[in-house]
Amino acid sequence: MFSIRMNSVFTFFLLSVPGAACWAQMPAKMGADSAAIKQCVAAWDDAWNRHDARATAMAYVEDGDFSSTTGVPSHGWKELELHYNDIFTTFLKDAHRTDTVRSIRFLTPEIAAVDIDWQMTGAKTRDGKDVPTRKGLLNWVVTKQHNRQWMITIYHESAF
Amino acid sequence: MISTQTRIVIVALLFFTFSAAGSRAQMATNRETDTAAIKQSVASFADTWNSHDAHGVAMRYAEDGDFSSVKAEPSHGRKELEDHYNTIFTTFLKNAHTTDTVRSIRFLAPDLASVDIDWLVTDPAAPGGVLRKGLLNWIMSKRNGQWMIVIYHEQAF
Repeated sequence: MFSIRMNSVFTFFLLSVPGAACWAQMPAKMGADSAAIKQCVAAWDDAWNRHDARATAMAYVEDGDFSSTTGVPSHGWKELELHYNDIFTTFLKDAHRTDTVRSIRFLTPEIAAVDIDWQMTGAKTRDGKDVPTRKGLLNWVVTKQHNRQWMITIYHESAF
Repeated sequence: MISTQTRIVIVALLFFTFSAAGSRAQMATNRETDTAAIKQSVASFADTWNSHDAHGVAMRYAEDGDFSSVKAEPSHGRKELEDHYNTIFTTFLKNAHTTDTVRSIRFLAPDLASVDIDWLVTDPAAPGGVLRKGLLNWIMSKRNGQWMIVIYHEQAF
């Protein structure tokens, strides 16, 4: 009788410990992934502020999607690089941006939606007139790659 | 003369080839069905919005759905969402009508999709009849066979 009870207790213990460990590990993993996502945003912001069109585009997955404040799309590395090259050599050539992560929502362990407050100084209109400080919200979908790096899959931006 | 071993290998190869082709065909069919279901869900949302039914609109979201306005003011969960829609339907959007047209759908997983929607909000009292226009970006998730809004962003331009 005693040994049957002990066996049950032992079995329960064996089943519970890995479950609890798994639960304990999830927030830790999520914390690590949140930090990695913030790092991805910071690296992108840095590439943007260096006006490096190629590096900015390479923060996206190869078939990444961008949509501008007026809903104009760019798809894939080639179009993305052309888009960034265009803005960095024209109306945003003296612009500087600040991006602050507002929230991260994990949709799956490898897919997250990220809201980012953005602010920009030094922007001009297409015909060269100064623009007051711009601000708004970026909403990105980022995905975790095989090398554990988080990359932009979908980028939307709004200005207000 | 074909040996038994060779026959087994050929049969196995044929089996896997047809299984893979069948699986791809099934995936394409599922995607078409899901695309149609997502478009139907967007249309239902617009209908409910146009009848200014705050509860009905909030119920188009997942229980822990997130909304963000054109000024990035958030609402989270069905209660806050219903309160938000109740406010707009009884104040500055009480005579408004929305037209939502799906621009693109990108599947992130079989039960998860990002949907871009061109939107136009009209009001007879607005200059030129147009109150707002822009783009909605939704993240939708298939829950119990139904596509629900998990995250809603809107941008006006």
